[in-house]
Amino acid sequence: MTTTTRVRRGLGLSIALATGLGLAACAGGSTPEPGASGNASEGSTTAEITFWDPYPQHTEGTPWDEHVKSCAPDGSTIVRTSAPQTDLLNQLTTAVKEGTAPDVVVLDNPMMPEAAAAQLLATAEQAGIATAGIDKNLMGPGVVDGVEYGVPFGSNALGLYYNADQLEKAGVDPAAITDWASLDAAIEKTVAAGGKGITFSGIAGEEGVFQFLPWFWGSGADLSDIGTPEAVSAGQLLSGWIGNDWAPRSAATDNQSAAWDLFLTGDYAFAENGSWFASAAADTDFKTGVIPIPAKDGGVAPVPTGGEFAVAPIQTTDASDHYANAAAVIACLTEGEAALTTNETLGYLHAKPEVRAEQVAANPLWEPWVAPIEGAEGRTTELGSEYVNVSASLSEALQGALNAAGDASGVETAFQDASGY
Amino acid sequence: MSLLTTPELAAPQGTRTAPPVDGRRSRRKTTWTAVAFVAPLVIYLVLFYAYPLVQNVVMSLHRFDRFSFVNGGAPFVGFDIYAEVVAQSRFWVVVRQTVIFTTASIVLQYAIGLALAAFFHRSRFRLSATLRGLYLIPWLLPVIVSGTTWQWMMSPDTGVLNAFLGIFGADPVWWLNADNALLSVTIANIWLGVPFNLVILYSGLQNIPADLYEAAALDGAGPWQSFWRITVPLLRPVTLIALLLGLVYTLKVVDIIWIMTSGTGSSQTLATWSYGMAFGKGTSAVIRYSEASAVGTILLLAALVFGFVYIAVQRKQED
Repeated sequence: MTTTTRVRRGLGLSIALATGLGLAACAGGSTPEPGASGNASEGSTTAEITFWDPYPQHTEGTPWDEHVKSCAPDGSTIVRTSAPQTDLLNQLTTAVKEGTAPDVVVLDNPMMPEAAAAQLLATAEQAGIATAGIDKNLMGPGVVDGVEYGVPFGSNALGLYYNADQLEKAGVDPAAITDWASLDAAIEKTVAAGGKGITFSGIAGEEGVFQFLPWFWGSGADLSDIGTPEAVSAGQLLSGWIGNDWAPRSAATDNQSAAWDLFLTGDYAFAENGSWFASAAADTDFKTGVIPIPAKDGGVAPVPTGGEFAVAPIQTTDASDHYANAAAVIACLTEGEAALTTNETLGYLHAKPEVRAEQVAANPLWEPWVAPIEGAEGRTTELGSEYVNVSASLSEALQGALNAAGDASGVETAFQDASGY
Repeated sequence: MSLLTTPELAAPQGTRTAPPVDGRRSRRKTTWTAVAFVAPLVIYLVLFYAYPLVQNVVMSLHRFDRFSFVNGGAPFVGFDIYAEVVAQSRFWVVVRQTVIFTTASIVLQYAIGLALAAFFHRSRFRLSATLRGLYLIPWLLPVIVSGTTWQWMMSPDTGVLNAFLGIFGADPVWWLNADNALLSVTIANIWLGVPFNLVILYSGLQNIPADLYEAAALDGAGPWQSFWRITVPLLRPVTLIALLLGLVYTLKVVDIIWIMTSGTGSSQTLATWSYGMAFGKGTSAVIRYSEASAVGTILLLAALVFGFVYIAVQRKQED
């Protein structure tokens, strides 16, 4: 009896507490107004400038870390924090909510429309960020409803790396790979000669979609409808590689680094991967080369623009000072001599054509990448903040297609059923 | 004891027994003392348990998106979000997967743990303590390490598991594809949970008096009979704890699944689904605060139900 009453009393107490808390939580929901006020020109830089980027691999003391810190204006020091790409936007969301947003954030380009729509970002004008001279396709993701937010300091792109030794052994001429049929034929020859085919990253989420888009667009498909026969044919291509044992089945779970590691073993003839591995490819103990990703019926497939935007998050207190910080640091990273260092350090090509030309002249490694970058399409340019939903569906479709391992009806169902919730 | 006789410590007792010149005030004083003693615990519980829990429920009753999460103004929608989540075709699929994952994990973790515990309890050979210690390794390793190792071992192309199966002429299995993912993560999770069951059940076995077995043996009971008639009934309280804790641990497992498959295919459980939606991870980068907290609340209620079952069973045992 006593236990029951005690339990009951305890229960009553916790219910009362819970109710009280619930009310408190409702009442305490007031948050600051989205700040349209503040301008970099009205503020002055402060002693400490906070800087977030998605490059945890560049730890303290690495060239990138030192380059960022050298961009601190006189009398300021930069405090740099890194988080993985997929965490950064969430951390920024919380920080803006708490009023503790950093001065500068380096944000992956497909996240820009969502960040702008949630009013997490100050406009480029407010934050004193210069966007003149940037290629239009690279700037695309940062323009939301005609307003510019932030600036891309450089871009990367996807290409098709090949193991020249394997191709030679199999008697394949890389220059003859101009469409899907010739690519398939080339893979088949290298596999017949003892190779393992091609590596790519089909991991669930944005990373796998990024790698899939050149095939998707190259088939003639459009992001507005992912159930078309063209889209299915792109899924069928990759699914077929798995089914024929021309690609590792781990492609369904490999990220781009894992796929690259497989290529580095020397067993694979081809690898779809990014320009950021260009200098690593030059250092391998087998000969490598790179060709543009072919479109289905010939020509070069459009690749998605890769790379990040430097942005200033919205601020509610001392906004002008924070924006002045952002203006100073971003200008240093994206203009003049330091802009070249920014891109060389990250393995990117500059977002301004004339600086890019300089970069290529100085480092011939970049030459094959110029055309893909100049022809690249912004992932969000067409759909804006709707893109994340479509990307989720596409990821689900791709996973289904890879799992079907070449089975045509399985691939078709995967693309038609994908809802991406 | 001698300390109690020191005047300072005895003094409060003196005041309490003093003639009630001001009885009300002294009673109020003891009430406040009681409150002061309870306060740290209550404040801790409220801050770190009640508040987040209530926030979670509040969130599932409002329609949040990234904008309203930052700027406020998420509309109250009652139980609409729960209705939407449950109405999705994938909801029951995920529930089914969660049930299979949880049941298979708990049953096999317990069975293997009990078998090992009984083995170590009966046979005290040299190195048995060392060997028992080695069995704890899965428990001590960070899950990121064991999860990644399992992922490598289960690699369809170069994994050691397929190489092993190949010795017997079996075809390589695509362990982490959509169909097999649930089986694969369950295997890894069982491996992860065996040590916990081993430790708890082993200590339970040690608490069973040896003379019971001796008496049974004298009465002619075989090993099988003494296991079912002595070990199992006397182990019941420990079993209950092991199963309940195992259930709560397994229901909320995200890490091992996420590391191996990111919750793709059949390995999606309520916990990984909620995690993916809450942080925009996995297949979809869309952040769904409200749906995630709704699934989280459902998960919580499920765990709570089993908590009550545990209390009921325990009370019945005491009677």
